[in-house]
Amino acid sequence: MGPPANPLAPGNLPMVNRARAATTVESATEQRPDHALMLAVRGGELDALGELFERHHGRLFGFLVKLTGDRTAAEDISQIVFQRMLKYRHTYRDDGSFTAWMYHLARRCAADHFRRASAAPHAIDPSALHDHADDAPHAAHHATTRDDHALLHAALARLDHGDREVLLLSRFQELSFAEVAGILECSVGAAKVRAHRAMHALRDIYFNLQSTRTGQGKIP
Amino acid sequence: MNCQRVRQIFPELLDSRTSATQVPSGSTGTIEEARAHLASCPDCQREFARLSQTMQALDTLPIAPPSGRLRRDFYAMLEEEKHSAESVRAAAERQYRVRRAAMWRWVLSPLAACALVAAGFFAGRKVTPMAPAPATSSPDAVALQQQIKQLQDQVSNMGTLVSYSLLQQQQRPANDRLRGVMSSATLENPSDRAINDLISAVAFDSSPNVRLRALEALYPHAEQDVVRAGVLASLGREQNPLVQVSMIDFLAAANDVEARPALEKISVSVASDENVRNAARRALTQF
Ligand SMILES: [Zn+2]
Repeated sequence: MGPPANPLAPGNLPMVNRARAATTVESATEQRPDHALMLAVRGGELDALGELFERHHGRLFGFLVKLTGDRTAAEDISQIVFQRMLKYRHTYRDDGSFTAWMYHLARRCAADHFRRASAAPHAIDPSALHDHADDAPHAAHHATTRDDHALLHAALARLDHGDREVLLLSRFQELSFAEVAGILECSVGAAKVRAHRAMHALRDIYFNLQSTRTGQGKIP
Repeated sequence: MNCQRVRQIFPELLDSRTSATQVPSGSTGTIEEARAHLASCPDCQREFARLSQTMQALDTLPIAPPSGRLRRDFYAMLEEEKHSAESVRAAAERQYRVRRAAMWRWVLSPLAACALVAAGFFAGRKVTPMAPAPATSSPDAVALQQQIKQLQDQVSNMGTLVSYSLLQQQQRPANDRLRGVMSSATLENPSDRAINDLISAVAFDSSPNVRLRALEALYPHAEQDVVRAGVLASLGREQNPLVQVSMIDFLAAANDVEARPALEKISVSVASDENVRNAARRALTQF
C-alpha cells in the first residue's frame, strides 16, 4: 500500500513519528503503567503497544509454551494476541486490567488454535521442549535439573487442558482470583476449586513420574 | 482440624494472595488453624513439601525466549497498522483535537448527521402551530417518517457513491480509481467520508495522477483542519517531486502555519529535489 516511507523524505512525518518520539521521551523519564499505555493505544498512540510488547511478550510466550507444549504454536498464538489487541483496542475498558485482558485474549486465541489444529486433545512431546532432556533416562539414577524440567513438562502435558489452563493462570500472583475467574468465565469459588484440584493433580503426576524414573517404585 | 481438611487448604497456604485471617472457601477452619496443625503433623508437613516443591518447580520452570520472528512480525504488524488509512486519520484527529476546537464535525458520521437533521426537522414540525401532536397513525406522522426515510436513503446513497475504499481497491486500474476520486470531488457537499476517501487517495494511492487529482479535489475543503493535516502527513510520505510541489502549494494556499516546520526543513534539505526546495521557500514567504 502506497509508496514505502522515504528515508530521505523532507520534514518530519508529522503524524507517524511524533508518537514514537513522545514514547521515547516518556519512557526515559518515567515508566507509564500498563493500563495507561493501553489507553494510549486505544486513543490512537499505537507505538505504546511496542512498550507493552516489550514488557509482556516473554511471560505471555512462557505461559503459552506451558499451556500448549509447542513453542511454534506459542509464538503464533502470541503474535495473534498482540494482533487482536491492536484490532480490538477500542474495546479495552477504562476500568480494565491490561494483564487480565492479555490472558483473556491468550486463552481465546489458544482455544481457536486448538480448534483449528484438531479436535483431539493435544499430546505434548517433552523432547521437543527440551533438547537432550531424555538423553539417557535409564542411566540417570540421580535427577538432574534438566531432567526435572523435562519431567515437569511431561507432567503438565498429562493434565487435562482445562486444569492446565486454570493452574497456570492461578500461578500469576499479579492476577487476582477474581480476574482469573473473569478470564475463565466462571465464579471465583469455582476457579479456586479447579485451581486447587489441578495443583494436587500436577503434584501426583509429577511425583509419580519422578519415582518411576529413579526406580524407587510408587509413592507411599 | 483433621489432616484431610488441612490438606485441602494447602493451596491457600501457597498463595501469596491469601490473607492470614481468611476463611478458605469450602472450609470451616481458618488459615491460622491450618498453619498450627501443619506445625505439629509430620505427615502433613511431607505432603505440604511435595505440593510446595511442585509449585515452585512450575513457577521457576525456565522457558527459552521466543525466536526473533515474534518480535519482527510484531513490529511489522504495528507499522502496517500505523499506516492504514484509519490510523493515519485517527492520528490526525488526535493531533488536532488537542489544539483546535472545530473538530466536532468530523465525529459525526453521515448517519449521525442525518439523525441530527431529522431530529431538527422533527423539532421544527413540533413547534409549528399547524401540526397536531404526532400520533403514529396520523397522516402527518406518516409523511414525516417518509421524509426521514428519504433523508436516510439520500445519505446512504451518497455513502455508496463515494465509497472509494483505496486500500482494498488498489488492484483496480488507475483510471477507475480516478473516476472514484472525481465522483467524490463533484459532490456539492461531500460527506466526511468522501473527504476521508480523498485524503486516503492523496496519502496512499499508488498513481501520482490519482494523488494529484485527489489533492485538487480537496482545495474547496482546505479550511478543514483534518484536510490540511492529512495533506501535511502525506507530504512526509510523498516521493514524487511533482506531487510534493503540489502539496506544498496546497499548504501555502491554505495558509497552514502548522506546515511551517516541515517546509523549513524541506527548504534546506539537500535530499529534496530543487523544485521542491524552491516551492517550500516560496511557500514560507507566503505565510
Ligand atoms: Zn496432618
